Amino acid sequence: MRNWLTGLLIIGLVSIFGCEQQKELKVAVAAPYTGGAAAFGEMIRRGAELKQKEINEAGGINGMKLTLLFEDDAGKGSEASLVAERIASNPQIVAVVGHFNSSCSLAGQKIYDRAGIVELSPGSTAVNVCEGSPWTFRNLYRDDFQGKFIAQYIDNVLTDLESVAVFFDNDDYGRGLRNAFVSEAERIGLNLVASEAYERDSTNFKAQLTSIKSKNPDAIFISGLFQEAGLIVKQGREAGVTAQFFGADGVDSPDFLTIAGSAAEGVYLTTPFTFGAAGAEAKQMAANFEAFHGVAPDTWAALTYDAVGMIAEALEKTYNADAAIADNRTAIREHLASLDTPEEGYKGVTGLTYFDINGDTVNKPAYVKIVKDGQFVAAEKQLLELK
Amino acid sequence: MAQLLEQFINGLVLGGIYALIAVGYTMVYGIIQLINFAHGEIFMFGAYLALMLITVFNIPFWIAVPTSMLLCAMLGMLIDLVAYRPLRDAPRLSALITAIGISLVLQNLARMIWSARPQQFPTETLPAFFVSEVNMQTGEVLNAIPLPGGGILPYRDVCILVLAVVLMIALNRLIHLTKIGKAMRACAQNRVASNLMGIKTNQVIAITFAIGSALGAVAGIMVGLSENITPTMGYYKGVAAFAAAVLGGIGNITGAMLGGIIIGLAEVLGAGYISGGYRLAIAYIIMIAVIVIRPSGLLGKSTATRA
Repeated sequence: MRNWLTGLLIIGLVSIFGCEQQKELKVAVAAPYTGGAAAFGEMIRRGAELKQKEINEAGGINGMKLTLLFEDDAGKGSEASLVAERIASNPQIVAVVGHFNSSCSLAGQKIYDRAGIVELSPGSTAVNVCEGSPWTFRNLYRDDFQGKFIAQYIDNVLTDLESVAVFFDNDDYGRGLRNAFVSEAERIGLNLVASEAYERDSTNFKAQLTSIKSKNPDAIFISGLFQEAGLIVKQGREAGVTAQFFGADGVDSPDFLTIAGSAAEGVYLTTPFTFGAAGAEAKQMAANFEAFHGVAPDTWAALTYDAVGMIAEALEKTYNADAAIADNRTAIREHLASLDTPEEGYKGVTGLTYFDINGDTVNKPAYVKIVKDGQFVAAEKQLLELK
Repeated sequence: MAQLLEQFINGLVLGGIYALIAVGYTMVYGIIQLINFAHGEIFMFGAYLALMLITVFNIPFWIAVPTSMLLCAMLGMLIDLVAYRPLRDAPRLSALITAIGISLVLQNLARMIWSARPQQFPTETLPAFFVSEVNMQTGEVLNAIPLPGGGILPYRDVCILVLAVVLMIALNRLIHLTKIGKAMRACAQNRVASNLMGIKTNQVIAITFAIGSALGAVAGIMVGLSENITPTMGYYKGVAAFAAAVLGGIGNITGAMLGGIIIGLAEVLGAGYISGGYRLAIAYIIMIAVIVIRPSGLLGKSTATRA
């Protein structure tokens, strides 16, 4: 009797797991769901969930269901390594969408590279993220482009701003972006009067702001993330700083507006994507997103939505249920690497994505937004081509 | 020169806040030789409770501040009663590990109740003269005193500074002139003997926790006025304040005040003139230097038992 029951149980379990392996395709979405950058992670999760829902409602990937595993790296490189080990050693996961922070993408890269699994980042902009591994891709611009863009925008569009100061986060992202900005500013002759650093998770910036204020810059470029940037803008206006604040994609979060409050008014920032300047598909996605989650999507939700879409497309074209996991992981990489011309690129809501030899996205533009009446809106004048 | 004056005042304001927190560490250490790692979390609760009183219960700011102090004093006493009193005669390490545990529990409790998202006091709920913002056209700053040479000093910072000084003087008088102050000093000297002399030591220790926690709560609210209120705010400020307490000579209240001011000034001047990327590091280097030269801190007594 007992043997018979055990036998039945084993048959039952085998059939359940057997079925599941065939029906389900697992993709990890690694991002900061806790910690200082949690607001980014929240939007990344929502963007991924919307794409997952749409794919599965349309019948899945060749009849197989797409399952997303959300892995929290807390925005820290040390956590990202642990998460990457866990993902790489799970033989059911075929690819990774993430990480968000450049330092996390770099920390995870070593492990993904060894395990042979694709890492497609919807948020890391540090210059060297993709160079280090054939397995790392991203679907947005790099900081050298972004830093150059901001310097040219200030020089060519905001022509009454003649002197600038840089206030940067002392980590991979902040330093890389600052360096790109500074070298372009020097090249085009923008007058750089001060360069100050701060530590991630600082909350008091009065000392550096006082020091910047004494140099009287017309504009202050904050090379960092929204949590610190929000406080910098707020404390700057309290301390009598009248300079024009300018931020980059790290500031692009609705939480920036709540932290800075009324001081956010008139702040400029660059972003890899903005719904205000996007096509009909993006507007449709925004409407679906709002219906599903009850809030409007942001840049990161849209980029993650596209990143999940790219992995799904790769799976649809290459996945072979009978092949070994390593071969399936490799096939995804080969597919992404083959998207190397505009004709073959992936057309998503954030525009056309195709890669160069490193896995960097080529020719995706930057947009400028400004805070108006407590909302991000596309700036009146965009800069479409760099000199 | 003008910049130096403004930086100096920035440092004093931050130092005053550190001093208020450091006093809480040092008073508890002085009396039961425990480094109360949960103190930074009480500081954080002070800010959150005031925020809750204001936004959820619509209580005016001036009443929310003392109410939050009172609630934090009760929280401090509760922690002592539940976590530290049962371990009073246990090895010191047990109490220390418990303190770290309590700190983690409170931090995660705050994350559960209020989420990890940074919050601020809504501007409209604060007293009008606390809100300084620059006029973008004229460059004048509302609700601030102009300093010679173009610097400014917001009224709010004046209030923080004055309140810190008043509370410090009040604490000093309490310790030296009142009966409970005398009992505290007696317990700090020798707890067993004080007990034999009829001093209710447990009660005195509870009151010590209450006072330290109330001062921590005020500091938490002050910080919340210009910075973010987050579940981890107690950690960062707590570590700096603890450094201040050690610098001044842990167990010595005047030393904690002095240490707070020194760390605050070092942090701000270091960030303003050397590099902002290492502002806490600069404070630590000063602390380490002092500890190497004077292991008992600036004003600490050099006894073998004090770490």
